[in-house]
Amino acid sequence: MSFWNLWGPAKGAGAAKPSDWFVTMAREWNARNRTKVELTYFSGNTYTNGSTLPTAFLADKGPDIFALSPGDFLRYANGGVLEDLTPYLTREAIDDFVDGALDTRTVDGKIYGLPLSLQPHAFYYGIDAWERSGLSEGDIPRTWDQFLSVAERLTTKKRFGLTLETTPGYLQNFCWYPFMWAGGADAVAPDGTSSAFREPGAVEALRFWQETIQRGVAPRRSLGTGSTDITANLLVDYCGIQHCGPYGASTLRSAAPHFAFGVFKQPVPPGGTYTTDVGGWAFVVNRRGRNPEAAARFVVWALGSMEESCVKRMADWCTVANSDMPPRKSVARLAEQRGYFEDPIMKYFHEEVVPGGRGEPRYPPNVYQPISEAIQACQLSGADPRARADRAADLIEDALATYEGARIF
Amino acid sequence: MTSGRRPLSQRGRETLAGYLFVAPSVIGMFVFLVLPMIASLTISFFRVSGFGDYEFIGLDNYRTLLSDPVFASSLKTTGLFTLAFVPTLFTVSLCLALLVKKQRRGIGLLRSLFFAPNVVSLVVVGLVWQFLLTDHVGAVNRSLERMGLSGESWLGNPRYALFAVVVISVWFFMGYYMIIFLNGLQDIPSAYYEAARLDGAGRWRSFWNVTWPLLRPTSLFVLVMTTLTAIGAAGIFDLIYVMTKGGPDYSTQVVMFYIYQRAFQLNDFGYAAAMAAVVSFALMIIMFVMLRITKGGKVDA
Repeated sequence: MSFWNLWGPAKGAGAAKPSDWFVTMAREWNARNRTKVELTYFSGNTYTNGSTLPTAFLADKGPDIFALSPGDFLRYANGGVLEDLTPYLTREAIDDFVDGALDTRTVDGKIYGLPLSLQPHAFYYGIDAWERSGLSEGDIPRTWDQFLSVAERLTTKKRFGLTLETTPGYLQNFCWYPFMWAGGADAVAPDGTSSAFREPGAVEALRFWQETIQRGVAPRRSLGTGSTDITANLLVDYCGIQHCGPYGASTLRSAAPHFAFGVFKQPVPPGGTYTTDVGGWAFVVNRRGRNPEAAARFVVWALGSMEESCVKRMADWCTVANSDMPPRKSVARLAEQRGYFEDPIMKYFHEEVVPGGRGEPRYPPNVYQPISEAIQACQLSGADPRARADRAADLIEDALATYEGARIF
Repeated sequence: MTSGRRPLSQRGRETLAGYLFVAPSVIGMFVFLVLPMIASLTISFFRVSGFGDYEFIGLDNYRTLLSDPVFASSLKTTGLFTLAFVPTLFTVSLCLALLVKKQRRGIGLLRSLFFAPNVVSLVVVGLVWQFLLTDHVGAVNRSLERMGLSGESWLGNPRYALFAVVVISVWFFMGYYMIIFLNGLQDIPSAYYEAARLDGAGRWRSFWNVTWPLLRPTSLFVLVMTTLTAIGAAGIFDLIYVMTKGGPDYSTQVVMFYIYQRAFQLNDFGYAAAMAAVVSFALMIIMFVMLRITKGGKVDA
């Protein structure tokens, strides 16, 4: 069975631990089963937003097992190519997943993907740059106004105060959604047929991102692979504050053990409510693959069984191979026993960032696209946020009117 | 009574040899170019989800095209890019070819330097230029600041991004077309220049009265190839994919990139095929008009 993923087997800086985890997992399975798993590694750029997966499925040569992000889930779920994993899971195992962890991979009560970890986003800052700018822990921003003023103080001729994603794509939308949600707006209203994108929350979120560029506190382009590439931006002092998931901590520590950094959660607009995006990859099975039953068994064995070895494996991923948040209660308990949450950064993610987080939305492409256009126009062309929000809402409602498929949320 | 076929005549054998020589190329073109074109044109009449569903919808994809503002704006971006890219590349390549035409010391090195960008992978070119053009701290902006000029976000500002892509594309392709022009220039017999010199023509007159008209077949080839590159070739797509992903604010979303997005990011393969068919047809018309205007590149008698 082929297993396409973004982690291993791979070589290079920062790739060793995640790659070893994948290779070990495949080796363990292959030692005990006749149907073998073959790992195929893809770099993030070719896999995410790329043509690799769609081309394979178009040619009916899709992988048997593959990693899928919530943003891309509906495309494959509505395409009818995902295998239902529910029959292979025990009730106990399903209940072991933390609240909401399976929601974005579930259609009509059937589970089509199992999350590898939870990746809630927060803001990292370099302590040295922070202190050199005359800032202290008491200056950690809680509101958007404070956020902008801190970013302004961090901005120098050579450094931007903060970096937000500027390249159009799923990642930019993902990074922007919490700003919209904090003000009570949403792309799709709870009724599923109208858009809540005209709400002031969406307009203000567009305006805030616009302001970061207009005030010169954020770059029009991030370095490396984008605004979550923490070693290419925060570590080299290109920016003072950067958006990233908990995995940013292990990335920074393996690249520069002496680099001191802190984390703070998403600031809120006036009268807003804290929230963040909780991303994370899931393992899914191609229903049209060579052996979907064996592939489903593999995925459940790897991430969805109550076996001690499975819990340990997932804890290893979150605490050793990476620094992520556990998607299961038993995994969280084991991580706690290992002292994982004694680390102040992980403790902060676990206790402050995750609660109030919301799973990365699963929007079909024609809902995602108008949002992307609105963000791009306001952030980089200085378009009127009110007008662009209205236009996006109209386009989203047009898309919803003809949409057929799994529930959007 | 004799049986069996008559042996081939000399002419017949030569004809057969000729066909055998071109056969690999013709078969290759048919398999890798003609068949995919037919397949692409066929699926443009279907709704294709990318997961094995094909629903015949006739001309619906083409009707959608007519009212798609993004397609219209991507065509406009492609037009702007072509208008900036083709004349600039043509002029720069020709100037370089004239510069390195004469055999003198170090000319080989100079030619190699101009050609060097063309041997580098476009992905690498895109990545290197991203570093050079980084906001604030990129080498280009730092150099401008040393000269007392203010740096810009060349790839992050919708006002400049397309211009930056044009400049980088010209830099990448100029060496290749310089070589093409160089071959064209070397094909012009020196006797014409001597005759022009005897008639009292200076360098400028020699260029306009000898070089320019005799270079017409090469010029036409370069014009056709650069236009094809600007509108439909993968080279420009690669650069845009690596450097801007069609941004900022879709200012570099040329039609080829939009086709790619519709197909591979929105799983709308039928609609993407319809766009590809329209672009291919437009390219054929452009080529036909170019050939008519230039009389097929024939040299004036």
